[in-house]
Amino acid sequence: MSLEVKVPAVGESITEVTIAKWLKNDGDRVEMDEVIAELESDKATFELPAEAAGILRIVAQEGDTIEVGGVICNIEQDGAAASAPAPVKEAAAPAQAASPVQQAAPATEVAGQAVEMKVPTVGESITEVTIANWLKKDGDFVQMDEVIAELESDKATFELPAEATGTLQIVAQQGDSVEIGGLLCIITPGATGNVQANAAANAKQEAATQQVAAQAAAAPSGAQTYASGTPSPAAGKILAERGINAADVQGTGRDGRITKEDAMGAQARPAAQPAAPAAKQEAAAPAATGERNSRREKMSNLRKTVARRLVQVKNETAMLTTFNEVDMKPIMDIRAKYKDKFKEKHEVGLGFMSFFTKAVTVALQEWPAVNAQIDGNEIVYNDFCDISIAVSAPKGLVVPVIRNAEQLSLDGIEKEVIRLAKKARENKLSIEEMTGGTFTITNGGVFGSMMSTPIINAPQSAILGMHNIVQRPVAINGQVEIRPMMYLALSYDHRIIDGRESVSFLVRVKELLEDPMRLLLGV
Amino acid sequence: MKYDVTVIGSGPGGYVAAIRCAQLGLKTAIIEKYNVLGGTCLNVGCIPSKALLDSSEHFHNAAHTFKTHGIDLENLQVNMQQMIKRKGEVVKSNNDGIAFLMKKNKIDTYYGLGSFVNKNTIKIAGIDGNEQQIETDKTIIATGSKPVALPFLPLDKKRIITSTEALTLTEVPKHMIVIGGGVIGLELGSVYARLGAKVTVVEYMDAIIPTMDRALGKELQRVLKKTLGFEFFFNHKVTGATNEGEIVKVTAENPKGETVTFEGDYVLVSVGRKPYTEGLGLENAGVQMGERGMITVNDHLETNVPGIYAIGDVVRGAMLAHKAEEEGVLVAEQIVGQKPHINYNLIPGVVYTWPEVAGVGYTEEQLKEQGRAYKAGSFPFKASGRAKASMDTDGFVKVLADENTDEILGVHMIGPRAADMIAEAVVAMEFRASAEDISRMSHAHPTYTEAMKEACLAATENRALHI
Repeated sequence: MSLEVKVPAVGESITEVTIAKWLKNDGDRVEMDEVIAELESDKATFELPAEAAGILRIVAQEGDTIEVGGVICNIEQDGAAASAPAPVKEAAAPAQAASPVQQAAPATEVAGQAVEMKVPTVGESITEVTIANWLKKDGDFVQMDEVIAELESDKATFELPAEATGTLQIVAQQGDSVEIGGLLCIITPGATGNVQANAAANAKQEAATQQVAAQAAAAPSGAQTYASGTPSPAAGKILAERGINAADVQGTGRDGRITKEDAMGAQARPAAQPAAPAAKQEAAAPAATGERNSRREKMSNLRKTVARRLVQVKNETAMLTTFNEVDMKPIMDIRAKYKDKFKEKHEVGLGFMSFFTKAVTVALQEWPAVNAQIDGNEIVYNDFCDISIAVSAPKGLVVPVIRNAEQLSLDGIEKEVIRLAKKARENKLSIEEMTGGTFTITNGGVFGSMMSTPIINAPQSAILGMHNIVQRPVAINGQVEIRPMMYLALSYDHRIIDGRESVSFLVRVKELLEDPMRLLLGV
Repeated sequence: MKYDVTVIGSGPGGYVAAIRCAQLGLKTAIIEKYNVLGGTCLNVGCIPSKALLDSSEHFHNAAHTFKTHGIDLENLQVNMQQMIKRKGEVVKSNNDGIAFLMKKNKIDTYYGLGSFVNKNTIKIAGIDGNEQQIETDKTIIATGSKPVALPFLPLDKKRIITSTEALTLTEVPKHMIVIGGGVIGLELGSVYARLGAKVTVVEYMDAIIPTMDRALGKELQRVLKKTLGFEFFFNHKVTGATNEGEIVKVTAENPKGETVTFEGDYVLVSVGRKPYTEGLGLENAGVQMGERGMITVNDHLETNVPGIYAIGDVVRGAMLAHKAEEEGVLVAEQIVGQKPHINYNLIPGVVYTWPEVAGVGYTEEQLKEQGRAYKAGSFPFKASGRAKASMDTDGFVKVLADENTDEILGVHMIGPRAADMIAEAVVAMEFRASAEDISRMSHAHPTYTEAMKEACLAATENRALHI
């Protein structure tokens, strides 16, 4: 379509302007807001910006005086191909009538550049994603930022927005695994394409809009409402007697209400059938008894990734583990003495995790190699301690990160642990909250582990394993005493951490835990 | 004799429970203390009061509105003996109906005072003087309630009376003083006001029918005053009444603390009812009592003794015949292992004055107290064509709906036939309808029920059609 550009109101008392100068030629392509002319009034000179992107058709000539609101030019908006030259304005002066009519140059179609969409970087250690679901079909028209696919990594599911408006051409198929930076699809922009394609796109858009409207109209009878799933009085009784939860029944009534018929047809969750005892047979040799069933389950992406990465860590690092033991009595005494006051003042419980995290940050700052990482041929030393805490979550093990733990007080650490653990249990941790740690603490003791060799959480270089606390006889100043003892394990990458660093680090942690006053005094 | 179930009490809760037990195949007995079945409701409560309300309403209309309808009557007078006689016939007809149902369902009926010997044995001191014992696996206590008596207000049952005596007066009072502005007092006060009595209501609280939506009490008060000349005294604390032959004097303390006196020829004491469990021998069965004389029950209406249930006015909740009926069915079905439920928020309350009053669900006061966001739509009968035709233009229908979801939360109405119309609201709410759902259904024209539809339109989008 063609847009008429008129003289804007430029001042209270100004009724007309003169075209001082055209800055573009007739037939030029202009962009939205591009300055295309200079206008003069009796008070000032103004710039005239284009009101749309497209092909410029000059109507008023340089030097003409036009009233405010008069037409200066037309802009054939993008998508409208030139089909005929604009009609030449009737010359007012007789002298101009003799001039030969200039044929307008035909507008050249400007095809947009196709956009290749590649897998974006989605997390520090994620190297590939799986296309869980294409939300659009090959050949569909998509809008900029419209979600067109769901991508799955070993840590989370992401939505993929369109990077341009146009026609979608799918390259990677659903279920494919694609590397970061790999090609997913191509979008051929349609906004500046030919009329045919754009008309088709518009028609599709219109149909989609009508479909949405139709769905909206149908919503009152099909939508989920407060009444959905409500059983009728008779249905409620039937469901109660069959031990069926109404939430498990699909209601066919209005707005999803459960009818008597729905209730009568509902099936309880199949209870485990007790296996019928096999009939005993007289046989010369009794056959083996017991079930011999087995089942196959496809590995989830998460599980596959865990399997691959753990093997990779073992293969690519020189992983060693060093051990020590901690007398937990001093910490337990402090907790027993101050935990109520601590709770009262800081509104958070005083657990072991804060002591261990604090001790670890002090030791890491003394032994920076344990806080470092390998990146290619370089060692990255960190001036901060982002401590990853292994948490058992519904979906499996996750490792949220406590940032700048060296700056946090004990109560700050406890609060952060609780916040992150809660999000982990609710499956709400973001990728950012689970990446970028510089050191990991894992606690097998919560499951009763006495001793273990924890696996490094790549790309980190070291991990501390906590274990259960057991009352054990130990020699204290030559006397046998019963003390609450915990074994500590430090697994580390020997490529950058030598025995001197790792053992000294672990001894330091032990010292700090066994004499918490040193945590306070910093010695 | 050995029974699966024995029901003590034959009121609406008891006889319905017995019938349902029998339908479910249980060998059932029912025990009634008096010589007729039906309990309070049928004998001295709901049925006879409705009979008199009907009769007196006819008289009132004949005397006051027939002329406008173009019906001229002369020498109009009340035949009190005949009115009472007809009421008695209505009651007997219903007594006979229940006796028939017991026989039809093969329920053994015992007339006498039933009491527990132990949790499975019940002794019956028969009306005929004989005593016998029956064994029962399960028992349902449905002994109902009786009027509350106030210690400073002794009843002589002649001029200082309860609702029971008010149903058998042989003359129309000149001035009846009603103590208590609840349902019973207003209904029976209406009966006698229509027949020519002056009626004065003395209420301890600040409104009549205070348990219902306040708008209803306000409108009812206005109409009773305008149409029947009722006088109301609120926040008055009655302190005594004395029978002085032809006159009864009632003394009360007004809000200022001053003593005031009311004089009338009859005083109707209607300050509520209390559970009736005397002589039941509950202690012999180990049944626990709760507060205010009620029997404590769990959600299944079972007492602390397994196998002994209680329903109706002897347990928590509204003292309404239809609530007792629902509870009777629930217990019967549970005894055989079924799993029925009762929605206690959807038991409608009704006042059979004219205009009638009815409500179900939450009142506006309750929603405000809960802090729940709601919207209200109201429609007056003044705008109803049918109401105009019948000259019954007092009253309105009010619908309360959730502000966000439009779910109906309560319906409160006062007007012609409200007692019957409220059933639509109960059905709608049981199925969790929205106000718009009701407003999109055809309601016959011209009917009073159109007011329900219009009120829903008002609640949905403030777009009633006929106002």
